[in-house]
Amino acid sequence: MSVLLSLFLKLSAFSLIAFGGVNALLPSLLKLSVYQEQWIDLQTFADYFAIAQAAPGPNFMTVTLIGWHVYGVLGALIATFAIAWPSSILVYHLQRLILGMKDVQKKKSIQYAAAALAIGLVLSSAWQIALQINHSYAAYVLTIVTIGVTVLTRWHPLYLIALGAALGMIGVI
Amino acid sequence: MKTLTPTELFISFSKIGMSGFGGVLPWARRTLVEQDKVLSSEEFSAILGICQIVPGPNIVNLAVCIGSRFAGARGALAAVLGLTLGPICIVMLLAILYTHYSDLESVQGILRGISAVGVGLIASTGIKMLRDELRFPLMLLVVLVTVIAASYYQLGLGWVVLIASPLAWVLAQKKARKL
Repeated sequence: MSVLLSLFLKLSAFSLIAFGGVNALLPSLLKLSVYQEQWIDLQTFADYFAIAQAAPGPNFMTVTLIGWHVYGVLGALIATFAIAWPSSILVYHLQRLILGMKDVQKKKSIQYAAAALAIGLVLSSAWQIALQINHSYAAYVLTIVTIGVTVLTRWHPLYLIALGAALGMIGVI
Repeated sequence: MKTLTPTELFISFSKIGMSGFGGVLPWARRTLVEQDKVLSSEEFSAILGICQIVPGPNIVNLAVCIGSRFAGARGALAAVLGLTLGPICIVMLLAILYTHYSDLESVQGILRGISAVGVGLIASTGIKMLRDELRFPLMLLVVLVTVIAASYYQLGLGWVVLIASPLAWVLAQKKARKL
């Protein structure tokens, strides 16, 4: 039972500092769940990350899977609820305030500042997660190819995910 | 303005949740603006802007904002439930399969391949967002400080935000005056 409580409390706190969305949070989530709380080992974390990427739906499902790993269906539901409720309540109350803001300069400033923070967090998240879960040069090459293709073309991400799966299956990665 | 009941919100957001691979935000726009036409493109962008500055899962924030706009707190709840219930079921089914087959060499390979692509997808989201910053390159300093604090010094997320936000705020005010 105490593991459910700590799952709930730790992830609720995460919700309020997850600037840039849950992807920006991944390295902290990894540190917490693998090294501090030892809910899960590194390999399983990496695998759950992959499953969440491959499944339809929001990409915060890595959190759902960690909850599942810790305490089955109840754990999955509690983890998902915990990552969502504090920020939901915050945005519920903030949206009218920000949308109704008369001072255009101030409104823009808030958006620009938050955007810059989010970019930094997302980029460092990708970097740190890559260091943890890419174990071969081939994996880094695939990551870099993915970046190139997504930035330069309009390919659907699903093709890249399928490509990654295929390369992994034949043992290249 | 079009009205939506909590049930309709639940259905719309179920469609959104179940259709997105590699993130659902683009699907949210497609469903709400292009297909169901419940929001104009400008309204959608304004709401999305708010959801991205507030912490937490952006897509859940979006469901809360849009749900509450059409049907108050009950609408927000309906939208969030629609968005999450289907994907949670699917992901748990996959987790069950995983516990049975994770020992297979081919399954491990597939997951390694998908992870490598997944990291690339996250990085490219960041790089695409970076393009907007080039209109006011000084802002890249904030990105740099954030990356150094988070990746090189490995500080926790809360510290990184605390350290980078004063600089972000000062530069953002400059940028808002200039553009």
